[in-house]
Amino acid sequence: MNEMKKSVILFGLTMLTFAGCQDDFLTIVPETSLSSATFFNTEADFQQAVNGVYVPLRNIVNERAWLLGEMHSDNTYYARNILFGATEQQEDIADFAIPSDNGVTTNTHVLNQYRLDYRIIARANQVLSRIDEVAFDANTKNNLKGQALFLRGYAYFELVRYFGSVPLHLTPVETRDEAALPMAPEADVYARIIEDVEEATGLLPPKSAQEPGRATSGAAKTLLANIYIARQKWAQAESLLKEVVQSNEYALMPDYADAFSTNTGNKNNGESVFEVQFKEGPDGLHGNFLYRFMPRPMAPEELVTITGTANPQPLNGEGNNIPTPDIIAAYEDGDLRRDASIDYITIEGSFWADKTYPYIKKYAKTHALHNNHGINWPVYRYSEVLLFLAEALNEQGKAGEAENYLNQVRSRAGLGAAQGDLREAIYRERRVELAFENKRWFDLVRTGRAIEVITEYGNRIKANPLAYYYPEGAAPRGNAFTNISLYYALPAAEADLSPHF
Amino acid sequence: MKVRYCKMLLPWIYGLGCVIFSYPVFSQEKTITGTVYSSDGERLPGANVIQKGTSNGTLTDAEGNYTLQLIEGADILVFSFIGYVSEEIAVNEQSVIDVRLLSDVMSLSEVVVVGYGTQLKREVTGAVQTVDAQELQDLPVAQVTQKLQGRLAGVQINQTTGKPGQGMSVRIRGQLSVSGGSDPLYVVDGFPITGDIGSINPDEIQEISVLKDAASTALYGSRAANGVVLITTKKGKPGQTNISFTAYAGVQEVPREGRLEMMDAVEFVRFKKEYYEDAGQPVPEIFQDPSQYEGKNNDWYDALLRNAPIQSYSLAISTNREKVSTAIVAGIFDQQGVVLNSEFRRYSLRINTNYDVSDKIRLGFNLAPSYIEDNIPETDGTRGTGILFNALHTWPIMPIYDENGELTRFNRFPAETGNIFAYANWVRSVEEIDNETTEVNLLSNAFIEYEPIEGLVLKSTFNAELYNSKYFFFNPSTATGRINVPLPTTAFSIRENIEDFSWLNENLATYTRSFNDHNLELLVGFTNQKFRRNRTRIQADTYADDRLPTIQGAININRAGTNSGVEEWSLTSVLSRFTYNFKGKYLFTASIRSDGSSRFGADNRWGTFPSASIGWVVSDEDFLKGIEAISFAKLRASYGVTGNNNIGNYTQYALIDNTVNAVFGDNVAPGAVVTSLANNNLGWETTEQFDVGFDLGLFNDRIQFMYDYYKKTTTNLLFNVQIPQESGFGNFNDNIGEIDFWGHEFAITSINTNGKLKWTTNANISFNRNKVISLADGIDRVYGTWHITQTGQPFGQFYGHMADGLYWNEEDLANSPQVPGRSTVGSIKLRDVNGDGIITRGGDNDDRAIIGNPFPDFTYGITNTLRYGDFDLSVVGTGSHGNEVMVRHLYSTTNLDGVFNLMKEVKYRFRSVENPGKGFFGTTVGGGNVTGIERDWMNSRFVTDASFFTIRNVTLGYTIDEPAKFIRSARIYTSIQNLYVFTDYWGGSNPETSMQNNGQGDGGNLSQGVDLSGYPVPRTYTVGVNLNF
Repeated sequence: MNEMKKSVILFGLTMLTFAGCQDDFLTIVPETSLSSATFFNTEADFQQAVNGVYVPLRNIVNERAWLLGEMHSDNTYYARNILFGATEQQEDIADFAIPSDNGVTTNTHVLNQYRLDYRIIARANQVLSRIDEVAFDANTKNNLKGQALFLRGYAYFELVRYFGSVPLHLTPVETRDEAALPMAPEADVYARIIEDVEEATGLLPPKSAQEPGRATSGAAKTLLANIYIARQKWAQAESLLKEVVQSNEYALMPDYADAFSTNTGNKNNGESVFEVQFKEGPDGLHGNFLYRFMPRPMAPEELVTITGTANPQPLNGEGNNIPTPDIIAAYEDGDLRRDASIDYITIEGSFWADKTYPYIKKYAKTHALHNNHGINWPVYRYSEVLLFLAEALNEQGKAGEAENYLNQVRSRAGLGAAQGDLREAIYRERRVELAFENKRWFDLVRTGRAIEVITEYGNRIKANPLAYYYPEGAAPRGNAFTNISLYYALPAAEADLSPHF
Repeated sequence: MKVRYCKMLLPWIYGLGCVIFSYPVFSQEKTITGTVYSSDGERLPGANVIQKGTSNGTLTDAEGNYTLQLIEGADILVFSFIGYVSEEIAVNEQSVIDVRLLSDVMSLSEVVVVGYGTQLKREVTGAVQTVDAQELQDLPVAQVTQKLQGRLAGVQINQTTGKPGQGMSVRIRGQLSVSGGSDPLYVVDGFPITGDIGSINPDEIQEISVLKDAASTALYGSRAANGVVLITTKKGKPGQTNISFTAYAGVQEVPREGRLEMMDAVEFVRFKKEYYEDAGQPVPEIFQDPSQYEGKNNDWYDALLRNAPIQSYSLAISTNREKVSTAIVAGIFDQQGVVLNSEFRRYSLRINTNYDVSDKIRLGFNLAPSYIEDNIPETDGTRGTGILFNALHTWPIMPIYDENGELTRFNRFPAETGNIFAYANWVRSVEEIDNETTEVNLLSNAFIEYEPIEGLVLKSTFNAELYNSKYFFFNPSTATGRINVPLPTTAFSIRENIEDFSWLNENLATYTRSFNDHNLELLVGFTNQKFRRNRTRIQADTYADDRLPTIQGAININRAGTNSGVEEWSLTSVLSRFTYNFKGKYLFTASIRSDGSSRFGADNRWGTFPSASIGWVVSDEDFLKGIEAISFAKLRASYGVTGNNNIGNYTQYALIDNTVNAVFGDNVAPGAVVTSLANNNLGWETTEQFDVGFDLGLFNDRIQFMYDYYKKTTTNLLFNVQIPQESGFGNFNDNIGEIDFWGHEFAITSINTNGKLKWTTNANISFNRNKVISLADGIDRVYGTWHITQTGQPFGQFYGHMADGLYWNEEDLANSPQVPGRSTVGSIKLRDVNGDGIITRGGDNDDRAIIGNPFPDFTYGITNTLRYGDFDLSVVGTGSHGNEVMVRHLYSTTNLDGVFNLMKEVKYRFRSVENPGKGFFGTTVGGGNVTGIERDWMNSRFVTDASFFTIRNVTLGYTIDEPAKFIRSARIYTSIQNLYVFTDYWGGSNPETSMQNNGQGDGGNLSQGVDLSGYPVPRTYTVGVNLNF
């Protein structure tokens, strides 16, 4: 029995020893990735977190914004490839045929645009909710906060223009219950983004004092002016835009073609107010939008004449964002911007009788790797600041002053002073100056012309599909131009998960 | 096609047959000598030899020999030995009687391995089924799980792909989880292993116990919910030295029957010709005369296949000298695959040693290294990524060989032929692309056992598992496994090294005591286990020279594909079991385990898993003792709670991804984002299980019957709940939802005849059901790409449109709901489920519905073993009834746009109102806008019955005793694995297919039963030999 007692005691002691160190034994935090418990503690953490806020912009401009803002207008269309199915998602957008019921749609591009904007917002919220708890250099902190506010404001501005009323998240979501918020009225969203971007204008340094490519006070002021213009608050817009002009941080590039970045150079040039940054290479920082804008099917030897890569591959599927006859005709005779913006390519594999398609040239810069380029995407250029300012002035009856700014833009394009009604002139000028920069749909909506212009455009396509790249025998789908509305329906996949819409 | 399932059940009925003996009487004194062997030729020392009806008997000596002087009485000898079926032999004129006893896994006096101990089979109160590995030895397959197909009631084992050494799906009692793992826990000699059970040489295994109900598994706590498979390896047997050698060699083939029937060159060109004619378009020249392709067919699928050799060798030595017993098993297994350039090779060794230090102290050491090398081309996958799938739909007019007899590089026809993709030469793809893995696995245990007083055993065990794998992939510039990659392409390499180390310390105390008629056993223990994985992956591309696929040979390191990581988990547990019985008749067991796991959230770190079970040996009661026919009867009932901790190692934490980089100008700026939400309450999945069953032995246990009914409720499912992405996150990991499982299991073992012809039948049938009771609040369904999991329905149902034929003519089209802008005469007619007059996919007016069920109504297996003299024959069959498969590859193999090669059946498509075909395939006219619905809108035509009955194995053997000096016995045999599949399934050769295990596409339990034309399961012909020295 003695033996047994000893054993039991020994057994018990061992057991206690193990029980004692159990907590350490059972706490294993991931060794090779960071968790939120240990992050957001240093200046460097916030620097990285703010960098992360920018990232979804790449996906937005590379994959979605041109669909929702440009091909969803009379500027560009798709080049039908009858051999390809599974293209209805893009076609529905270009054809104003997005199926929507009860205010929601299953369109995948609408869904992704929505989610990408909220990804920016959520990342900005993480930064903004925690940055004040950590002490570090005030200038750096202001700069970081300003960038986060600018980006959050930009994302909400996209959302409010696409959808109108949307949920307004201003703090990070931490539990499942917080994930869905009620819809905020359009006016509330605008009020909040004006507040955000206004704060950002005060926190951000001017372009000359900021790392190239990041948000600046000039960018924030331009964004804020754009918001005011969308709200038709012309005076507020005017004063902000004048600050931008008078800052002497920006100037028009002498040659319109030079306003756009090349694959590796001319980035964030003197005309650039804000652009989305890309870098060619294998690290996932590249764009490939140029390829998305190509008519198809395209043979490698045809493609290489545009891209100049060493390893061209064939392009299949259906080409998107192809300039329409309408936009080509919108350029006045002698407008230098037409040849800088649009070029032509003949593709032998096409079913379209003509086989020679226009394509967007302003981004067609040679690069090294197939389907991988570092061309930046312009969001705001100084020429738009001038056109905004002309518009804001003209709407307040200051036509003379307005013409001055308008003609700065026209003269760079090799054109003389604008003729006729100034409001129409500014509207036309925006279309050609900013063609393929995802401005057209928003301009149509805010100027109240969307329904009329798109209805007529739809009629032209249906009357003459051959002119809009349909092969012989193919015709626009039955549902084309049956759903022309000013807002996109909210994404169905989100509606399924939210109790609020 | 061909056989209905009721016919398949006929063997069951035969199995119940029985033979009556007569007992002659003889009265002359006589001496009989002989030897008693086991069925595999081992001599059995200590076996009983008794003259029937007398007390006259003897035991065999160490060599299994006996001598018995007969006395007056019955002239019949009864031979018996624990674990073997007793045998009665009439003496007649014989003076030498050698006998070979059949091993008997159902023997009630047998000791079975249960969790943390052993139990007498007759006293087991849980649902435990055991298989003696001896029964499995002839099956020419790599993994023990393959050998178990059809042997176990309630265990569905499917071979989802025929890749050598891979692809087994094992589900015990239908258990599954939304996102947690569903594989059972494998415990090898008491060690819950973290590696792959496939690395173990099946010849090392002595016995397998499958624990199914919660009372049997609850001692494994938070890892037990998927069931537990206990594997006991061979140990040295007392008093014997045995050397045995087993070997087999054979050839594998993919039978013609059952393969998908694709168009040949002439048929394909005819289709293309008609395609253009029907569309009113000019026919490209190459399609104008189909007959010119007569005799010029290129069967791309067949070109990838070969007849391939398989061989296996095992040498086993067991000795027992004084205090040391040792068992050593060395094996080589070499399987070439039936797809070119695929192979799997395993070298293995196991050394199990026990040392009795004294009467009270025992030590044991087990060491089992194995080395595996394989090369498996990327055969399985979706269109574009799975080479076999790609080969299926490659145009048969594309040449495999050029004029000079060389393999072509890739094929692409001019765009006007409708060839929009470049097709690699798939033969080059499998032959030139390296996809190799080498694995080193070392399993080891050491234990010390100490019995300080009688009945109390203290045991400490230290287990360690080391695993190292090296993966090497090289895609040279001359080949690709993808479609639409023109060659030469950018060569790239992937190297991934994984090092795992897992250790387990267990400390157990068992106290056993019997007094009067009370028998009790108490077990207490505590254990600690820890696992750590180091992983490094390097991806490099752009090689100057394909001959040098080194890292330094690459011009570029692919950052996105180059990474390293550590995965760790730890588990601390205390456990206890109390077993009590009265007279071996009233049985009671209770157990409890508490697990603390690093995987569980900080606020929910410990889980407790209790169980209790009772049994009643009714046949020991007086009221049954009079019934001669009933030799044994036991009623059982159990209840318990188990968990599933396969929830990921760090799921509870909010993780930061610091590789989300930004660019500013020319500079790359490091970015970091929060990628997931934390959940401090995250825990295990809980399964409560109730089981009732009975065991019945009839006619002196010649027929044994087992039945179980179970009901399980799994709650707190690990669920990556979708949340609105306005939050910035897609999901939140939570424990929610409830799934019910229930089922019936029947198993029977019958010794049909035990005379000169010994015929036994083992058969089982299981009915498993499940139903989703709830998901997250506010969420009543989860979609896979082609599946839906919805409350009130079974898990993971196929989801899509109901197909109602075609629009036969203008009138039909005008009077039917349509897809606006897309439906035309001759296109597929889908059902307007919500009755709103139009066909809609997705959104609020979705017309999709449940269109099929991947789960079977029942699964069954039957094994017949016959022995006549020195000949033995066994036939194993397995089947499944009522399960459906989604023939997913149809979206390519019946694509109407003329882009791919097609199934022959597409000949019977709609061509005009006058020539509407069979109504299954629609018109080709209208391009993707029309045909895209038929192809891309998943519909019920893709779903088909996949019931099957497979004659899994037939083996015929012949045994010779002492064929030569030093050889005690030799057995030669021949076997055919996967002899024939009876099925109506038409989507390919493997009705067991499911993409869930091939690492492609959706995968997971939410997406079962999808056929993407994976690696075919071969038919294997072998000859083999077993020698005992």
